[in-house]
Amino acid sequence: MRRRLPLRGLRARLIVAFALVTMLGAGAASWASAESASEALVESDQRRLTEAFAERIAAVAPTLSYPPDQATLDRLRAAVGADASVVFEDLRSADGEDTGLVTDELRRAVRERERLVAQRITADGRPLLLIGAPVMITEPDGTRRPSGIEVYAVRDLGEVEAQIDDLAASAIGTAALALPLAAVVALLAAGSVLRPVRKLRDTARRLADGDLDARSAPLGADELAQLTVTVNEMAESLQGSMSAMRRMQADAKRFAADVSHELRTPLTTLTAVAEVLEDAAERMEDDAAESARLAVTEIHRLVRLVEDLMEVSRFDSGTVRPRLEDVDAVEAVRDALRARGWLGRVELSGPAGIALRADRRRLDVVVANLVGNALRHGGPPVRVRLAASDSQVRIEVADRGPGLPDHVLPHVFERFYKADDARARTPGSGLGLAIALENARLHGGDITAENTEGGGARFMLRLPRNPEES
Amino acid sequence: MRRIWIAAAALLLGGCGIAESGVSDEGPAPTGVAPGTTLYFVDGDGELRATLRDTGRLGTIGEAMALLLWGPGDSGLDTGIAVVSSSKVEVTVGEQEIELRVPLSAEEVSPLGVDQIVCTALAAHVQSGGSPEATVRIHFTLGEPGSDAPRTCPLIG
Repeated sequence: MRRRLPLRGLRARLIVAFALVTMLGAGAASWASAESASEALVESDQRRLTEAFAERIAAVAPTLSYPPDQATLDRLRAAVGADASVVFEDLRSADGEDTGLVTDELRRAVRERERLVAQRITADGRPLLLIGAPVMITEPDGTRRPSGIEVYAVRDLGEVEAQIDDLAASAIGTAALALPLAAVVALLAAGSVLRPVRKLRDTARRLADGDLDARSAPLGADELAQLTVTVNEMAESLQGSMSAMRRMQADAKRFAADVSHELRTPLTTLTAVAEVLEDAAERMEDDAAESARLAVTEIHRLVRLVEDLMEVSRFDSGTVRPRLEDVDAVEAVRDALRARGWLGRVELSGPAGIALRADRRRLDVVVANLVGNALRHGGPPVRVRLAASDSQVRIEVADRGPGLPDHVLPHVFERFYKADDARARTPGSGLGLAIALENARLHGGDITAENTEGGGARFMLRLPRNPEES
Repeated sequence: MRRIWIAAAALLLGGCGIAESGVSDEGPAPTGVAPGTTLYFVDGDGELRATLRDTGRLGTIGEAMALLLWGPGDSGLDTGIAVVSSSKVEVTVGEQEIELRVPLSAEEVSPLGVDQIVCTALAAHVQSGGSPEATVRIHFTLGEPGSDAPRTCPLIG
């Protein structure tokens, strides 16, 4: 049932409501004044007509013979004027068609009340005034009795009605005049209401855009001011928890950096000890030799972990700057594979001479990590394919292994994320892919992971050909 | 919302035109018809008495005065007013006072005759719808001190 009004804006609704109320108020006021004025008009006109009626009868009455004959009634009727009728017992004198409109109600009142009476009726859309009176006989001592003569007259009130219509028209005109004025006032009022709302909206937008310092000054003590204060408080507490979180994050990162830094010195010593131990292991008994080799392996792993941690800390602190140089992409990848003795296990393809500006050491780290993962976790054959566009170099590392489980896929680049606990003993630090991604981003590039349709995982490294341009 | 509009429209339309009404009271009914004129003469006991002169209508105060000055005729009543040739009386009816200029001198009218004049004038005045509280002032052609004071009728009011 409820229509959707096209006026959705607060301003439009305010103005319409304001104008409506004003119109209604002005309309009601002018209607009320017009109503009372017209009532007074009708009353005074009615009084004037009935008084004239009574006066005309009283003026002619002493000259009338009593009991009256037809001629006397005619004379009285003529004295009263047009549209009148006079009745006495069986005699009747009438003039004008409208005399038939006299109501029984009025006749009864004339007989019962023995006074001058009147009634307003509407006939054929014309407003009429019916007047009736008995003619009384007064004794010298003042007592009165009806003479049996009754006089009725019909008077047209059309003139008064025309005046009343004029009044109503002017009342409507007054109400209409109030409309533009109301619109102007409503516009001003809407502005004063909407200005703080707009300010508040701007503040909220700045907060949403990350400017936690944004505040708006509350004006006055109304609901809008309370809302402004609440928004300010919200921003305050948001800012507080954000800075606390940042502080804690910074603390945690600094702690990791400190820990790895502190571990480096004893680890250097431990590495030296491990080398001695490795040499000595050959001369030990089998059990002891096994333990010694295990210890040496774990020491190497620990060293790598600490190195990776330190690398991550450097990324977190934002102090890492790539040392860009001109690199032939295919050669760089081949060098990385050759250095680790993987050339025989990996199929490398791609056009020669793809020029790339990159940090050679970091590119090496990324390629080694991606290929190393493929060799370790995926199945052969492991393929590395390079492709280039004008702005980008794509290095794809794919294997034919089981691929990555769906629940792992979104998390592979997270730090220390282990796909399952069984892999906890793998030689990786758990930071390899995270560092690879950081390195790719350092170049303005990206790494994505997905499963191929034929099975196996595929990592795609995208690097801009010149990070300094992009 | 729709109801409000209807109410507003009804209110505005109700303000237009003249409403019909029931029967309303507009004051006392007119009066003034009578089968004859009331005249005051003096009976055998020397008392003031009202008689109805059968004229068929009430007539004016002037007409009543003319009939009074004409005399009681053969009705067996007496009058305290001397017979004069002229019966023309000038009548002025004010708000609360009737002024009469009679073609008589104060000497020609006895105190009862004065009452006759006052009562006859007042009766005609009251019967034609005038106030019973009105007073009568008589101007004689030749007055005496206090003869033109406002008077009331002992039988009326």
